[in-house]
Amino acid sequence: MTPRIVVIGSLLILAAVVLVVVALPFYTVSDAPSEIYRQRTDEELAGKQIYIANGCVYCHSQSIRTIDWGLGAERIAQSGDYIDDHPILLGSARTGPDLSQEGGEHPDDWHMAHFKNPRTTRPNSIMPPFLFLGEENIKKLTAYVQSLGMIMADKRIARQRKWKELSTAAFEAGPEVNVKWLHSHVPEPWQKIANPYPTTPGALARGHKIYQDFCMGCHGPVGDGMGPAQPDLYPPPLNFTILKDRGISGGILYYQIMNGITGTAMPYFKKELESEKIWEVGDYVAVYFINESDAGQGGGIDAAFEN
Amino acid sequence: MSENNKTALGFCLTSSFWMVVATLAGLLAATKLVAPDLMGSISWLTFGRLRPIHINLVLFGFVTPGLLSAAFYYFPRLLKTDLFSEKLGVITIVLWNIFLVFATVTLGLGQTQGREYAEMIWPVDIMVAVLFIMVFVNLTMTVANRKESLLYVSIWYVCAGIVLTAVTYALGNVIWQPDTGALKGIPDAILLWFYGHNVFGLLLTPLSLGVAYYVIPRSCKTPLYSHTLSLLGFWSLLVVYTHIGTHHLLQVPVPTWLKVISIVDSMGMVIPVMIFLINIWYTAKGKFAEIHGDIGTKFIFVGTIMYFFVSIQGSMMALPQVQRITHFNNWVVGHAHIGVLGFAGMMALGGMYYVVPHITGRPLFSRLLADLQYWLILIGVIGFTVVLTIAGLIQGNGWLNGETVYRILAEIHVYNVIRASLGVMIFFGAVIGLYNILRSIFVRSGGVQ
Repeated sequence: MTPRIVVIGSLLILAAVVLVVVALPFYTVSDAPSEIYRQRTDEELAGKQIYIANGCVYCHSQSIRTIDWGLGAERIAQSGDYIDDHPILLGSARTGPDLSQEGGEHPDDWHMAHFKNPRTTRPNSIMPPFLFLGEENIKKLTAYVQSLGMIMADKRIARQRKWKELSTAAFEAGPEVNVKWLHSHVPEPWQKIANPYPTTPGALARGHKIYQDFCMGCHGPVGDGMGPAQPDLYPPPLNFTILKDRGISGGILYYQIMNGITGTAMPYFKKELESEKIWEVGDYVAVYFINESDAGQGGGIDAAFEN
Repeated sequence: MSENNKTALGFCLTSSFWMVVATLAGLLAATKLVAPDLMGSISWLTFGRLRPIHINLVLFGFVTPGLLSAAFYYFPRLLKTDLFSEKLGVITIVLWNIFLVFATVTLGLGQTQGREYAEMIWPVDIMVAVLFIMVFVNLTMTVANRKESLLYVSIWYVCAGIVLTAVTYALGNVIWQPDTGALKGIPDAILLWFYGHNVFGLLLTPLSLGVAYYVIPRSCKTPLYSHTLSLLGFWSLLVVYTHIGTHHLLQVPVPTWLKVISIVDSMGMVIPVMIFLINIWYTAKGKFAEIHGDIGTKFIFVGTIMYFFVSIQGSMMALPQVQRITHFNNWVVGHAHIGVLGFAGMMALGGMYYVVPHITGRPLFSRLLADLQYWLILIGVIGFTVVLTIAGLIQGNGWLNGETVYRILAEIHVYNVIRASLGVMIFFGAVIGLYNILRSIFVRSGGVQ
């Protein structure tokens, strides 16, 4: 072969391939917006630049697949979701969760605490601390993350705002009112359910482990609501001791852990914890921090696991 | 030092030095996955900045200059002429190192375009394109001045690799959009992965194959098994490899016909890969003593074995059913390491270890240290692949079973610890390599054989 054949031949092959696999899709992929599309605000776009500059894309995808179960799996990604993404931030790894629908999953204050040091809210996280960004930039980054999911995120954000107002008012009215307010939003049948699993050393040990992995960052090692995330959160994390003698039940604990308390930093754990784990961490809190447990007092047919 | 081989030696030194920096960045990043608070909250040491530094320095600091070092050595010899311009070569090397410093600093400062493998900002992109053109001019002008009428396969691969990379680099980095370096939406993803995969397909692979095609028959003192096969392998590589980038996007809303093309061609990759391997392995048949006898050849032969594994694995990973489990997790990271370090990195190291004694006219400073480096890197990269594949399977199967990312994180912690430990081995391998190369080139005495 002559050098000319090598160079011109390979360039011709490349040109033909580019025409098919790059140019053809470029001109044929629709750029019509999807039904959840909206434009980003200037603050959100500034946050996006911070997201790009710090390589968030290496650990967080924005690409929900048909086979996903995790965060955001309610909506499968469509090409119309990305029309304004410049560059597109699909990502190639999920060291952290997918963020396509992260907007409104948590209130802003949760993100502030989480960005400063992710282990304050998520003790097992391996995300880097972003304290170096400073308060202003973390606010912008939060604005971007809260826009992920676009119109769907806006709905969740509105919900967060509404319940933040109500939960703040309840907190500021003092422990008596706050506890009553919290309990009153648990459906009545749940309020009456006792924890069906009896307290055992094994169950408490498991509950302890789950408490450490999921709860301790906000509620603190002794359940007084003074975990490392506390300074950034308002209303602050619940001090469990105020629940004593105020009508707490295993069912209330279960319901609040499962669904979370929208508007506050308390997330829902239904995706992360299966039934037994929720009962056991609830009983751990009830036994050690509230000192009032109804575990195993529910009646019914004696369960096979009971001693 | 011989006047004639300054460019080859310069690229060799560049590669050895930047391998240390690149593997250090990788090691720090791996450490952050184990202990995220270890280095506090320092902007340029955050994982998201270390990772692009690691990747870009491995690609453009360690592997590419290492492979070019060998190319600048064998071009004049295969063409029976002098290099077109050693002066141009030296200028290229100086500029190349300035580019690498510039790339490291800008990425460390968070100056990035946020596209994997295309992170570097526009001025750096321009430098890369200019550097590739300078290399291309130097090498093709050497070809034009040749006294040997037949062009050997290594020459084809390097000429095509450099010119095609110059073009795809400019295209993939959307060089006509200096501010973002990106297109919008789904077409951006398609272009990005077209380019991203071609970094391997049109740069690392052709340059690596060029080195293997030169060194293996030389060391084995046999003619190449088949020149027809090398012809078929060359053209089929160019046709097939360029089609497969979209296999990174099988689970993304891109046109189905494009996914089909990428899957079919990913399977088709078996053709150029096996043509090359058959050709090289038949050439090396019965010559294990020769391969074992020369440390450079040993590195390169292992590189061919890694090429087999990474290619077969890559074809398999393009199957949608496999990708349900392997996508988005550490499996892919393992695949990338066996490809870039196991295959192309081994080829680069082998090329340098082959070239340096031939240029200096005396043996390496230390065969012992080179062997030590060989084992550190071999154990490191194989261990990496095993550990990351296990971690990837845990992640992929767990997610498919409905477990959340946060729950699985604790399950892969131990693998992250082993991974960082193996990273220590690879980093020390790089340090030993740099020391050995420096001593071999600059200091005549005191070697340990």
